[in-house]
Amino acid sequence: MTAPRGGCFGKVLEIDLSKQTYKTREVSDEIYQKAIGGNGLAAYFLTTEYKAHKDPLAEDAFIYVGPGPLNGTYCVSTRTSFAHMSPYTGLISHAETGAHFGNEIRWAGWDGIYITGRSKKPVWLSIVDDKVEFKDATKIWGKDTEETHEAIIKEMNDPYARTAVIGPAGENQVPFSCVIVERFRAAARSGTGMLMGNKKLKGLAVRGTKAVPVVDNAKFMEMATYAKKLAIDKECWQGVKRWGTAGLLELKNFVDGSLITKNYQTTWYPDIVKIGAEAANRKFWKRHVACNHCPIHCLKLGVIRDGKYKGLIAEGPEYESGGLLGSNLGMTDFNSMIALIEVCDALGLDNISAGGVLGFVTELMERGILKPADLDGLKPKWGDGDTYMELIRKMAYKEGKAGKLLSKGVKKMAAEIGKGSELYAIHVKGKELAAHDPRADKARTYSYCLGSCGGDHHEGASTRALVIFAMINSLCTCSFASALIWGGENAKITVGMLNPLCGWNMTEDDYWTTGKRILTMERVFNVREGISRKDDALPKRLTTEKLPAGPKKGAVFTEEDTKKMQDEFYSFVGWDAKGIPTEATLKAYGLEYAIDDIARARKEYNL
Amino acid sequence: MNDQNGGYVMEGKEKKLPDLFPKETTRRGFLRGTAVAAGSAVAMATVGGLAAKTVHAQAAPPAPQQKDLMRFLFAERENCTGCRACEYACSVYHTGIVRPSVSRIHVLKYKDSIDVPIVCWHCEDAPCIAACPTTPKSIIADPKHNGIILNEKTCLGRKCLKCQEACPAQFVWVNPDTGMPLMCDMCEGDPACVKACKDQSGNPQGPCLVANKLGFGVNLAFRNVTPNQAGKDLLDLTFYPSVDGKRPIPAKTKKTRRS
Repeated sequence: MTAPRGGCFGKVLEIDLSKQTYKTREVSDEIYQKAIGGNGLAAYFLTTEYKAHKDPLAEDAFIYVGPGPLNGTYCVSTRTSFAHMSPYTGLISHAETGAHFGNEIRWAGWDGIYITGRSKKPVWLSIVDDKVEFKDATKIWGKDTEETHEAIIKEMNDPYARTAVIGPAGENQVPFSCVIVERFRAAARSGTGMLMGNKKLKGLAVRGTKAVPVVDNAKFMEMATYAKKLAIDKECWQGVKRWGTAGLLELKNFVDGSLITKNYQTTWYPDIVKIGAEAANRKFWKRHVACNHCPIHCLKLGVIRDGKYKGLIAEGPEYESGGLLGSNLGMTDFNSMIALIEVCDALGLDNISAGGVLGFVTELMERGILKPADLDGLKPKWGDGDTYMELIRKMAYKEGKAGKLLSKGVKKMAAEIGKGSELYAIHVKGKELAAHDPRADKARTYSYCLGSCGGDHHEGASTRALVIFAMINSLCTCSFASALIWGGENAKITVGMLNPLCGWNMTEDDYWTTGKRILTMERVFNVREGISRKDDALPKRLTTEKLPAGPKKGAVFTEEDTKKMQDEFYSFVGWDAKGIPTEATLKAYGLEYAIDDIARARKEYNL
Repeated sequence: MNDQNGGYVMEGKEKKLPDLFPKETTRRGFLRGTAVAAGSAVAMATVGGLAAKTVHAQAAPPAPQQKDLMRFLFAERENCTGCRACEYACSVYHTGIVRPSVSRIHVLKYKDSIDVPIVCWHCEDAPCIAACPTTPKSIIADPKHNGIILNEKTCLGRKCLKCQEACPAQFVWVNPDTGMPLMCDMCEGDPACVKACKDQSGNPQGPCLVANKLGFGVNLAFRNVTPNQAGKDLLDLTFYPSVDGKRPIPAKTKKTRRS
């Protein structure tokens, strides 16, 4: 076991909430080379420490808050990964978020935070360099994310501290609740909020004053400067700088034909002009906000200037939030949509899953499968912002019949409701899909189906991109400022930065091997929980119902498409026809420890 | 740039100043600049540039130019996106690696909605130098580029920090390792933060940090605004009709009623 020479500290902060103690866990350079950090390192911990069929809410279940080796260095735009076994899907899960939180962890001298145990009373953690304090959170328990953030910053007495907090949804253990980082950014989609709520951990606040050591600074700066220059200059991204991801709302509707509308009934929604980027620009946006060292500043802040919600400062719409809580719900009133987005953030709910659930119940109501009596007398219709607002609130507090039903997520809801509602429940591996309709945006199916978390839009839209995204989720770099901009140069730039930073001798081939290794580790975890080829597929509605209108009218994602996609990917990463990593593959990636697990799973699930 | 003065160009050509009110136009441009300067330093910078060019136009032939040393820093606060490229550039210039805690410049996130860059305004009367108790002074303003140079041998460091107390802009931070105050030395007249900011900016927002040869006295007006005041002002200005970032009714969540 050798200590890392640079890039990583070799130290992970291990926190035990049950005993309210902390210690340093040493991680060797070999493991960093194998798993990089962030999501990859979490996958390593999860596969080596968890036995199959672990209870994701057990007391010793952990959350790994992991930045990667590039966080806190000159690299352009870096992020944070929250990874753990998801209580929502029961599979491995990771959520990445922007902002400065991850860098602050690194500047505090840690490679990541490993949180385990369960506190008896609510706490929040204050981490200032090496000093960790468990603070009483009884007073802020129950407050929304913004108030919590303010209260924590006030108690830290340091406006430069960075926070990650949960809202009431996390406290009430809604399975798709999220962590809100620095008020406007969310690490969502995997139920991290529920897990933190279960551990009675209200939030984390971090402040660091150290620096990340670099082995060969001159070489590192050269490559990092080159990478940053690409992010500044690349022409195709000037639109994202100007319009954020909201610009995609119009693009995806009028050109690409893949904007989800009314729970996947169609992708044609001309009313998008009322709630899209242009409307936001005219009547909402005020500022551009960037993550650390990022020239793209894709986050847009604005204020609602009239009507019921006058004076509400909010972030968005982004493509996913504007899609799921906008066109998916048939919204035509811009202000109402923004209020929905902001309330979801305040309560700590995942915008995408919440939007998916609301779209689902609205369609069931329309088709008469659900009655208002099932939802406490509420009758959601397309575009009815007030009812949606009430449902979101009920969802977050699990209040009444409606709250209890809706907070289960579409998969369990469909199972409970029955009556053919399964057809309208759009999810992959139990998680709602994001706002790209895979019938038109076929490449996105790779991410939805083959990505390890299920239903996730952020895992790469082609075979090679899946490997690249496995890497960027472990390096915790941004898909806009790095992966997608670097394009074909991804391997070159990443290796060119990592080698001088950490003193490694990675080659470009190693880059691909490492990416595939991380994907395989995640797959090993999922296979143990019973995932195989049959689960890597879209729901029936998207493979049978043709798109009724729009630029891609008549498109459908056929069974052949699915088969082709799966075969292509499995052979690329070295898995067999059932989507299980073969023994030779595991050996090639140095994952011998997983061979027994896989053999057991094959027997158990008859694969 | 030329918009400031009605669109005429002076550089390299015969002066095309309109015969009527040439001076007044300039003065009006200047006044407009000062009026906007309550929130805009870019306007000042343009006027400054204009003044410089006028000089060149008169002095012929233009000698092979050496890069001018800048003496003042301005922050156009409204343009800041909070990317902290300035902090990165500052710490890289001074220590070689990224370490915002030893960066001279800082970006404050006010209520997480507003980013306030905190710069040294290089005040002509320099309260920090006046407050320095050692003899000779441990901090001096470089006559060429106005950067504050710290003598680490004579500075009392954490024991004293009178300069930190004296700075009306609350600019001075302390190096967590050595206890020395972190002073803006203007990077010898070519500030790294300004270059980094310019690189990052452009679409759709202009740069936030600007360096200039003249201070116009605006720096003395700006310096009395503390970072928190600046944040509050900007928040109210940017997000009108919101008041101090408070949420109106909808996000106020009702108390849990378990049924």
